[in-house]
Amino acid sequence: MIIRIDEYSDVPIYMQIRNQIVMGISSGELKPGEQLPTVRALALEIGINTMTVSKTYQLLKQEGYIMTDRKNGARVREQITQSGVVSEENKLQLRRIVSEARLSGVGKDVLKKLIDEYY
Amino acid sequence: MTWLIKAIMFVCIVPSIILMYMLGFSGNPGKKKMIFGVRDNPKFHEGKGQEKFDAIVSSARNGGLIITAIVVILSIVMLFLPVTGGTLLAWILLVFALFLVAAPYGKGNMELKDLKKELGITKSGVTYTDLTSTNTVHALKLAWIILPNVLALLGTIAAVLIDFGVFGVTPAVEKYALTVMSLSFLFIAAIIVPIAVMMDNARNMVISRDSSINANYSRAKKKTWADLFIAFSWANALYLIANSVLMFFTDSEAAVLISTLGYTAVIMVVVIIGVINQRQVESRYARDTELELTDDDDNWILGMFYYNPNDTRLNVEKRLGYGATVNFAHPAGKVIGIVSAVIIIGSIILMIYLNATGQLVV
Repeated sequence: MIIRIDEYSDVPIYMQIRNQIVMGISSGELKPGEQLPTVRALALEIGINTMTVSKTYQLLKQEGYIMTDRKNGARVREQITQSGVVSEENKLQLRRIVSEARLSGVGKDVLKKLIDEYY
Repeated sequence: MTWLIKAIMFVCIVPSIILMYMLGFSGNPGKKKMIFGVRDNPKFHEGKGQEKFDAIVSSARNGGLIITAIVVILSIVMLFLPVTGGTLLAWILLVFALFLVAAPYGKGNMELKDLKKELGITKSGVTYTDLTSTNTVHALKLAWIILPNVLALLGTIAAVLIDFGVFGVTPAVEKYALTVMSLSFLFIAAIIVPIAVMMDNARNMVISRDSSINANYSRAKKKTWADLFIAFSWANALYLIANSVLMFFTDSEAAVLISTLGYTAVIMVVVIIGVINQRQVESRYARDTELELTDDDDNWILGMFYYNPNDTRLNVEKRLGYGATVNFAHPAGKVIGIVSAVIIIGSIILMIYLNATGQLVV
């Protein structure tokens, strides 16, 4: 799986990595149980501080997407807990995207198609 | 015998400056990804932008060509001059003059960066990382690089023991000459090994969404580097041993100079083969390249020196030429930069001093 880091993005680097790993798990690019690189290896590869990668992994662990242990490092969880609800933060993001699309004259059907494509 | 000294200097200088000119001032700047260390941009090729771009490129290329021509002509002229302290100093200064070809390159870099601002080209800094191949792609077999350097070490130990009379034999050359020569080449070996390991641990390149292509591409590139450093190490070790044997049996300066000429020629051939191999890897994977690293041009001072405090890596792939360079914002990079500058400036001052005091003799 390829991670794209934009150093001029408004989104912090730890969040860029987190978002792309979540998308990777959702799309199946990262399979359940798949080993993730160690904090040090990933930090060296991207050229960022190990604390940044550590923060990403802690966040992903807290959100239930990955599990970490000293022996095996970080792995994608076999079973991800499905709450069945959209978080308030995501609702807000979705609302912003829908609003921007509407103001740009993008039709509802186009948005629905995109959701079908990404889901 | 003085013709040998001139031949060695000529073989070192002329192919090097021609190679540097060819690498830095490519024939088709509009078709390359990088021009003087600045990423090409469509805005460079529209209306006024194209005019200014052409003027900058043409001026820098002419500058590079003039400097290259001067160095080549001076080298040819020097072939016909007798070797004295003064001309020897001139030869040595010509070696350092190789760096002058970087001046028009740096000027072109600064002018293109100004043009970017003028054309309103926004900053970009995108990097890609392949999670699958993180820290798993290596090509250097340590044994192959350690073996020649162990031989070089053994050769040096033998030379030191001979010079200090442990074996009860006396070399043909003057006392401690064997030790000085061996230690000099052992020093080169001590530099080659960490650089080889550093290159093998460099970040894997991401050119495709397919992880296997990325892994194969990185492995192929690292293999060319591993082969180059292994060849360097063998050439270094064999030269050290052969030269030690020569110096032990004969005091003939001609024999030593001939072997030095051979060593220089071998190093040149190894470098040329390394560059050809790198180019072959690039062209083999050109069709598979769909992702491109677009790191910020502003992190490259004069398009040559990488300075990025936000990047924790020490070595990064070069923009000019082949191989890696150090991140001068890294603490170790700062030390390397200062030490290199001190060695270069110190060597020039030392040579001028030796010549002024009449100690630079042939």
